[in-house]
Amino acid sequence: MALLGGFGVVLSREPIRSVLSLVLVMLALAVQYLLLSAQFLFAVQVIVYAGAVMVLFLFVIALLGPRREMPSRRLRFQFPLAILFVALLAGAGFGLLQGIHLRTPEKADLHVFGSVQQVAVGLFTTYLYPFELTSILLLVAAVGAIYLARRE
Amino acid sequence: MIQVGSEQLDVTWFLGLGGALFTLGALGVLVRRNPLVILICIELMLNAVNLTLIAFSRQIQNLDGQLFALMSMTVAAAEAVVGLAVLVEIFKVRDAEDVDDLSELKG
Repeated sequence: MALLGGFGVVLSREPIRSVLSLVLVMLALAVQYLLLSAQFLFAVQVIVYAGAVMVLFLFVIALLGPRREMPSRRLRFQFPLAILFVALLAGAGFGLLQGIHLRTPEKADLHVFGSVQQVAVGLFTTYLYPFELTSILLLVAAVGAIYLARRE
Repeated sequence: MIQVGSEQLDVTWFLGLGGALFTLGALGVLVRRNPLVILICIELMLNAVNLTLIAFSRQIQNLDGQLFALMSMTVAAAEAVVGLAVLVEIFKVRDAEDVDDLSELKG
């Protein structure tokens, strides 16, 4: 499902279809997070990505109007080069995945692992400074976006 | 092996899915010409990395991976906001439907 959406993102000619395929990918990945017992990140993924970021993309597309993508006139050699690079990347990843033997994880308490309480404890004790830094980053991003969007 | 419901699921599948999505995103960044779609493909790559982080976090029963994925989500949101703002500004100045049209810094 997620792979199908990924192909949709890359292959569709109109940006709006790309964005909707990306929403599909985000929701499929959210389900994967739930499978991996990351409940908090599941909620964050659905709200922040599938909600906020995608709505932002849709707004920008609505602002710019529909436009179809034409095949490029310049840099023709770039396409086969890109295919080659991506094939190398996929081959390397596949080769890496062939050789691994992961040990079985110890039986942890899955009712506790990844719960909101545990995430909060990690976030506000060990990783307090990075957490505060992300808040500053978000503030800077918001101020920058407002600065860029203002009318002269 | 990860217990999912009544089935056992190998974490390698999650890693493979993450790798495949990352590869697709890289292909999109390299091949597509619309700057908006390039931003979307970058989001795809970031999500693939998040999936890998969370899969390993589950595998070694360590919550740090999930926290790092949370941080990277924040960074991705900030990047999307600023990137889209710059994009709208560029489109206001000139009608560029190809990133190759933006190869010069002149306004």
